[in-house]
Amino acid sequence: MSLEPADDHDHDAWLEEKDLTPVENIFLTVLIWADKRLRLVDYLEILETLYYRINLQMPRSHTEQYNLDNKFWYWYPLYSLGSFSTIAYVVAAISGALLGFYYAPATAGDPSAAYNQITFIMTDLNFGFMLRSIHRWSAQVMVAAVFLHMIRVYFTGAYKEPRELNWILGIILISLTLLFGYTGYLLPWDQLAFWAGQIGVEMALSVPLIGEWAAQLIWGGFSLGQPTLQRMYILHVFLLPFVVTTLIAVHIGVVWMQGIAEPH
Amino acid sequence: MTDDTDSTEADRGEGARTDGGSNLPVPPDDETPTWRERKERRVGLARLTYEYLERSRREDEDLREQSTYLERDVLGFPTWPHETIRNLAITSFFVGIILFLSSTLPPHIGAPANPSQTPAIILPDWYLYWSFGLLKLGPLNPELAVLGGEKLMKDRTYGVLANLVVFGAIAVVPFLNKGNARRPVEEPFWAAIGVGGFVFAFTISLLAIKNLVPMDSHLLFDLTFLLPIVAGALTYAVLKTMREGYMYDLNRRYYRLRPPK
Repeated sequence: MSLEPADDHDHDAWLEEKDLTPVENIFLTVLIWADKRLRLVDYLEILETLYYRINLQMPRSHTEQYNLDNKFWYWYPLYSLGSFSTIAYVVAAISGALLGFYYAPATAGDPSAAYNQITFIMTDLNFGFMLRSIHRWSAQVMVAAVFLHMIRVYFTGAYKEPRELNWILGIILISLTLLFGYTGYLLPWDQLAFWAGQIGVEMALSVPLIGEWAAQLIWGGFSLGQPTLQRMYILHVFLLPFVVTTLIAVHIGVVWMQGIAEPH
Repeated sequence: MTDDTDSTEADRGEGARTDGGSNLPVPPDDETPTWRERKERRVGLARLTYEYLERSRREDEDLREQSTYLERDVLGFPTWPHETIRNLAITSFFVGIILFLSSTLPPHIGAPANPSQTPAIILPDWYLYWSFGLLKLGPLNPELAVLGGEKLMKDRTYGVLANLVVFGAIAVVPFLNKGNARRPVEEPFWAAIGVGGFVFAFTISLLAIKNLVPMDSHLLFDLTFLLPIVAGALTYAVLKTMREGYMYDLNRRYYRLRPPK
């Protein structure tokens, strides 16, 4: 737009005159790159200051620092999508933990034990039908909110310069969310689940070089059975929850560090 | 920090701040030991790190001192009870939406898994339709004359690769589009790309369920790729037209807020 950005300090020239080894050069370049985006200096300084005199003060966010939150209130509804998906994630975690008390990832029997347990939850268990419904809908809502959140971030240009890392982290999170949905979709072990699993295996197998290895790692073989269900279950209730929860925390933490990218 | 700071500080009122921040724009130089003082004895990369961090902090202070930004007091609400109650209200509203949906539209469970009987309709959840649709791009897989009309890779491999291309394309966006512009009007091109991608996600999902869409499948295939382009071009044209008047307005408001030096 019409304002020229203020001059930065010329770190490149400084690097030139330092006459560094390649290792030092790469190290400093990465440090400068990250510091420009995340202002590591502020946070390191806080840690240091804590060490020197015990006195913790939370850093103010960009919005607080420049008193901006009275200037873009009309964008607020779109800015709630991220927290909506987080809330849905928490609801899914709670209802999922309760469902986990009654579900068994076993294909033995006809129909399978997994299918029988889902039927039990839906017909015999008190409040079970509602519980499964809540779990399923919170998952749907989470995915929908995450998609819309990405679209909001795109159209408000919030992914721009200092926030590239968080955009990429968001892409990783959306992929993991889809994986969460996929692994959960397979757990009831009904026809839809089985054949969705079949398509997954075939997709993996058509990847050159690592395809067969990936199929064995994730689906536990080339044809579906007990190993598949077991792995989907562990991915869904153990591995993904840890990874996704951590990444969500980092994602939100980076937003807190960098401030909300308000439209100017 | 000279005498003019004192007068502005008095104007703002010491007690007005409730967010824990200080009124000073820059922390006083004499209180915080510099990085060099703290780390004098260090050598090598650690020393370089602190030398850079010191520079970086000095840069920050310089920029803030040069800044003409008008800092003003705004009315803020305290965290407790105002903000907390508001956030609880919003959270309950969202949880309420989820509970409402779950009670009115309960899920369904199909027939148990049967490896020997392929069902007529195989579909993932709706949010994977786009990925499922990308597997059906076979007709776009180029045949090379060099290979005597053979395809370079199998249609299945091509479809899986298309998924990676989509993720890659989304990932490079911030490295291609830089600058201060935030609103679609300011950058019609990128808005057009976004709308095109959004429409494509829809049309490719429709392609994934083409046997459920009452339309000729060849027409559907063509529309899958034409509609996003049309939507993108329309967006571009509309935003280009809006741009001039909008930018004038924006600039006027901007300079009313921060008068030029």
